[in-house]
Amino acid sequence: MLELHEIALGYQGKTLVDNLSFSLEKGQICAVIGHNGAGKSTLVRTLLGLQPPLSGQINWYDGRPHGTKRQLAYLGQSADLDSQFPMRVKDAVAMGAWQGLGFWASLDRSKADRIDYALTRTGLTEMADRPLYECSSGQLQRCFFARAIVQDAPMILLDEPFSAIDQTTETRLIEIIREWRNEGRALLIVLHDLSAVMGISDTCLLLGGGQASYGKTEDIITTENLLTHHYLTETQAEWLSLLRQKGAHDV
Amino acid sequence: MFDWLGYDFMQRALVATTVLSFSIAPVGAFLVLRRLSLAGEAMAHAIVPGIVIAFVAFGLSVVSMITGGMIAGILVALGTSILARRTLIREDASLASLYLIALALGIFILSAAGSAIPLKSFLFGSALGIGNDTLMLIGVTATITLIAFALMLRSLIAASFDPIFFESQSKKPGLVQQVFMFLLVLNLLAAFKSLGTLMAVGLMILPATAARYWVSTITSYMMLTLGFALLSCWIGLILSFYLSQVPTGPAIVLVAGCIFFISVFFAPLGILRGKVIQK
Repeated sequence: MLELHEIALGYQGKTLVDNLSFSLEKGQICAVIGHNGAGKSTLVRTLLGLQPPLSGQINWYDGRPHGTKRQLAYLGQSADLDSQFPMRVKDAVAMGAWQGLGFWASLDRSKADRIDYALTRTGLTEMADRPLYECSSGQLQRCFFARAIVQDAPMILLDEPFSAIDQTTETRLIEIIREWRNEGRALLIVLHDLSAVMGISDTCLLLGGGQASYGKTEDIITTENLLTHHYLTETQAEWLSLLRQKGAHDV
Repeated sequence: MFDWLGYDFMQRALVATTVLSFSIAPVGAFLVLRRLSLAGEAMAHAIVPGIVIAFVAFGLSVVSMITGGMIAGILVALGTSILARRTLIREDASLASLYLIALALGIFILSAAGSAIPLKSFLFGSALGIGNDTLMLIGVTATITLIAFALMLRSLIAASFDPIFFESQSKKPGLVQQVFMFLLVLNLLAAFKSLGTLMAVGLMILPATAARYWVSTITSYMMLTLGFALLSCWIGLILSFYLSQVPTGPAIVLVAGCIFFISVFFAPLGILRGKVIQK
């Protein structure tokens, strides 16, 4: 579905990640982790087509060099948005159906039904007519998940979807993510919580120290790898080893 | 009560400011939503030297003054972008530096050239002395603005609410921003004659900020912004007619300011209605 071949990521001549190659298939969840400044956001911007790679090639399943934007749903960090924007919850969700609409065309029955489904699936039906500013951070994040459901794209890119939300909301959103995988969609998720990485991803891309490692999640999340890529300090690594020796799995 | 409507100059002023409101209100609404209110203010001053140079060189020609203002606006926007990207100061400081220089330069040239048009008219406008060419300019501006908004309303909403989402979905995301900035400068130029360079942006911003306290959907927000702009123009014109020493621009903007303060305190999302908004 998506293949990155010997990509170098960075900006203004500064290379953050070099020689990055990986592929993402249908029905696969790939987690992206790395320390601050490792190049996660640059990778997201590159995949969104907002900045070109310094070198290398990105191949999308339809063969176009930079993909077709209609095939990609994006779910960013809700902290970046104007939560005071004068808009109802259902209008924000409906935004997922705007692409491809004519200037004045209204939403057809199938799109309206999909919006209703997305609101129901995310538990926002009762909030549908409420203004956005009344939403908690968890409700706001559910709203953006609903928008991604409406987009109905074969590939979904999520940038730290669980930041600033409670455990109940996270569990609910993880259910939706698993449902997307079961529907055959490919997901790339930027995460910072290792337990979430271990819990939901099939493969993992670890960025840091100017290099990238990619493979099955259980093969990538090792103490040695996390140290090499500057994700953990020596002290944190010792704690991790200790926890593993004691049989803790959610680390 | 309506004796003021019997005068030709008042009828012209009424038509001009009414049509102008239909054009300037949506631009102001999105300036506020895109958090560009101060950039709008800066741009209103940035166009001054272009207008003044065109006026000094070619006289009271609407076309040359628009061209001059547009060139000055683009130069300041480009200069801001270059300073912010290539030097250590940020975009706000770059824009503030350049628009202040532009405003001072415009007033300096106007005064040094010994202009027949008084400085007060440049700064505060003269809505009661609007000619056919200005009426035509306002009409054309309103037509272009409303057509542009009809074509790109969804894109503007998405780009204002969630810029990265919009950029990820749009084939030409920069186009919306460029068209919007063009509409901003065009509307400032159209409002220049009637409201003056200092007051034009007031009619753009104040109705839009006031409307934010009343409504929570984009459609009602835009309609209310238009309503407040119209109300400000009509009441401001009447005030200016009966208080002959008061220039029209400040009268209109002061009315908009009163609406703003009433909204801040008494609107459903205002201070006294007890709504606490988390930011």
